[in-house]
Amino acid sequence: MLVILRDLIRYNLEFRIGLVLVAIVLVMAGLSFVSPYPPGEVYLVPPDIPPSAAYWLGTTSRGQDVFWQLTFAIRNTLSFGIMVAVLSRLIALVVGLLAGYSGGWIDRVLMSINDTFIIIPLFPILILFYFVLRDTMSTPLLAMIMACLGWAYDARLIRSVALSLKTREFTQTSIFSGMKTREILAREHLPYVLPIVFSTTMNNMNWSIGIEVTLAVLGFTDINTPTIGGMIYWANQHTALVAGIWWWIAFPVALVVMTFVGLFLLAVSMNEYIDPRSRLARMGGSR
Amino acid sequence: MSSSDQLPVLQVRDLQAHFRTRYFGVNREVRAVDGVSFDVRGNEIYGLAGESSSGKTTLIKTIAGLLKPPLEMVGGSARFAFLPEWDAIGRAPPEVVRRIRWRHLSYIMQGSMNVLNPLRRVRHSFRDFAWRHLGGSKSEFDTRAAAHLERVRLDPSVLAAYPHELSGGMRQRVTIALATICKPEFIIADEPTTALDVVVQKEVLGMLRAIQREMGSSVLFITHDMGVHAALTDRLGIMYAGRLVEDGETPEIFARPLHPYTRHLIASLPRIGDVEQREGLEGTPPNLAAPPPGCRFHPRCPLAMPVCATTVPAMVETLPGHRVACHAINPGAAA
Amino acid sequence: MSALLELDRVSKSFSRGGLFSTRRVEAVKEVSFALDDGTPEIFTVIGESGSGKSTLARMILGIHAPSGGQVRLTGRDVASYERHAFMAQVQPIFQNPFEAFNPLKRLDHYLFMTAERFGAAAGRSAAEAGADEALRQVGLSLAEISGRFPHELSGGQLQRVAIARALVAKPRLIVADEPVSMVDASLRMSIVNLFGRLRDQLGLSIIYITHDLATAYYISDRLIIMQKGVVVEEGPARTVLSNPTHPYSRQLRDAVLTPDSAGAFRAGHSRKAVATPGATP
Repeated sequence: MLVILRDLIRYNLEFRIGLVLVAIVLVMAGLSFVSPYPPGEVYLVPPDIPPSAAYWLGTTSRGQDVFWQLTFAIRNTLSFGIMVAVLSRLIALVVGLLAGYSGGWIDRVLMSINDTFIIIPLFPILILFYFVLRDTMSTPLLAMIMACLGWAYDARLIRSVALSLKTREFTQTSIFSGMKTREILAREHLPYVLPIVFSTTMNNMNWSIGIEVTLAVLGFTDINTPTIGGMIYWANQHTALVAGIWWWIAFPVALVVMTFVGLFLLAVSMNEYIDPRSRLARMGGSR
Repeated sequence: MSSSDQLPVLQVRDLQAHFRTRYFGVNREVRAVDGVSFDVRGNEIYGLAGESSSGKTTLIKTIAGLLKPPLEMVGGSARFAFLPEWDAIGRAPPEVVRRIRWRHLSYIMQGSMNVLNPLRRVRHSFRDFAWRHLGGSKSEFDTRAAAHLERVRLDPSVLAAYPHELSGGMRQRVTIALATICKPEFIIADEPTTALDVVVQKEVLGMLRAIQREMGSSVLFITHDMGVHAALTDRLGIMYAGRLVEDGETPEIFARPLHPYTRHLIASLPRIGDVEQREGLEGTPPNLAAPPPGCRFHPRCPLAMPVCATTVPAMVETLPGHRVACHAINPGAAA
Repeated sequence: MSALLELDRVSKSFSRGGLFSTRRVEAVKEVSFALDDGTPEIFTVIGESGSGKSTLARMILGIHAPSGGQVRLTGRDVASYERHAFMAQVQPIFQNPFEAFNPLKRLDHYLFMTAERFGAAAGRSAAEAGADEALRQVGLSLAEISGRFPHELSGGQLQRVAIARALVAKPRLIVADEPVSMVDASLRMSIVNLFGRLRDQLGLSIIYITHDLATAYYISDRLIIMQKGVVVEEGPARTVLSNPTHPYSRQLRDAVLTPDSAGAFRAGHSRKAVATPGATP
């Protein structure tokens, strides 16, 4: 494992850059645990001070230190993204593998459900949920809802891989070795499906973070828990750009863009490595 | 039956082609072709026999100049009589290669669908390959193509068909017609009938032989099927693990195989009407990334001697026109 | 005299085509034969591509259900057989040794799995013993195979491991679909000879599916020749192949090229291959 990491760092420029970017983001998120200021409180420091030695990224109109606020914001946003990604991957895997392997009516039923979820327009539904759940809408609940909306595309991808795996002879060998269906899916087919899962995880995180930011900017989420979108929401409320408090918006945006780009680069560069076929070809294996 | 022309159409000398991977810390050099020398004369079919990992496919890729990383030509030469200035096609500039491809050198591949565009009618494939060389207007060219098809006993209506409308055998015959329309001096055929049924194979091979006879071209025919070699080829070369171990006239090789590998290859195949016990060979072909030193066959050879593990045997003309590289046959001959 | 395997007018048709037009393709038409329970034999199905031989193999293995007729194992319809009990008696060997195993997994994983599920091995050491015994029967050993991945072995070795895996289940019937067509010529005969040994020493019956008449002649006891889904000729192997009666069988036999076919296409000969035994130029 470490050898792979070392070689990726040594030879792959995209991986290096991605790793650096994501490392910065993670360090920022980690710093939230040593923040001198509690996240929810306002008017702790003099407001509207530009970036300086005392306040590295400046302060907001609400009297919060931008830097430390940002650490909480990125931590919450990241954990939201990870939660959505993990949940939706699980659903996509189960649906995709089962549909691809079983065929017949199971496949048809699952794919009909899948296609329904693909067509559902995202924003109207989310806004509907917000209005219905209003006060009980919390970040974990939003994460669950988004996970349920975000698995459909990838389930189809996974299903197509599962379909092709079903026709390969080693699947028959596994059957005649006495393996049951769930064992075959988990132990034989899963490794082939993992590259897709991994790269779509990165995309999925970018997607969910993007939506969360959008919703927060519009004020549809819990605006008291600091997130990237929340910071931008408050900045807009205080008309920061017009007032010239650019640092309140610029730094959250810069950090979230860094997150997107970093995750994307990692996904792209690790994909070639994780894909069993290209790994095999490099070992000189499959003829 | 003799091969005309004194100067060989193809002269291969000490050809070496390796697969070099320098990837993520892994440095591997697979010595797929490691010092091969032979001639192909005019107006003959030269067969190249060998199993998987013998290097025969890599050899023809190198000869034809179809080299892409990680495959590199590392040494030696493969000189064609129609391109004397260059010692290998892979070393000539693209304009030169374009000029000779199809006009002087053509290929017949294993999969006809690799050659015929599935989305267009057959006549378009003919135009794509040969019009540039033969010239004339479109209709003149089409007439020439139809005439060529008739000459090789194919129905010219095939030109108007799509590839998927033809059977596998028919497609392969079209591929042969396509490869021969410019009357090239040299044709490389890579397992052209391996995927075909036995009955169709016979027809396709018959067609190839007839065309070759008529045009006087030379054919380098690669297959692992010894029966096909016996039936079709004039001379035969046996490859093992990247090296040529025996070469000579086909009837001579089958009547008096000298190299232990060749002898085993011929003896192990069952024939109809014969229930004599046949045996497989012990061991496996070597890993070409780390081949055994000396003669590469020695770990599996029933005649192995101590010298075989240290010295590479040279190809020596042991009987007239019959070369073999083996210490047991030619003691003291080192490469 | 009871039958181990019985095919009773087995047919299989597929429908091809879209929503509004369907065409039925008859892959197998009314094939019948039986393998006796007490006499192990190698029963060969000869056919070219499109003859239906692979479809037939899959029906015998219970992978496809026949559209007509019945496949019976020891008197019971295969369709009604409980899958696990069926697989304990019938095991497959496939054409492509490089695809038979998952390239990402170690080979012994399949051997141990088969031993545990079918070989009544309780625990790891019993499974290892069962795997080793089966590997020795094919000329390998657990020490050689342990921990290896498929890409580390040659086609011939992989096919032998596949046969060993089938043997671990201690089946009564092995269905081998073109088992040597993708194996190098120099290694081919050791596997073909192995089939003979399995029949003689272990009492296994083998259904050997191939297009190669020469190995069929060499190893089979009885055979059938299929063309476009129909059996055109059947009988004892040597008799049928030495003197085929059906025109298609004759055509097949005449088209076979062996090392004795020297000069079949060379100048001065007609197009017909000279493939009669013993004829050398």
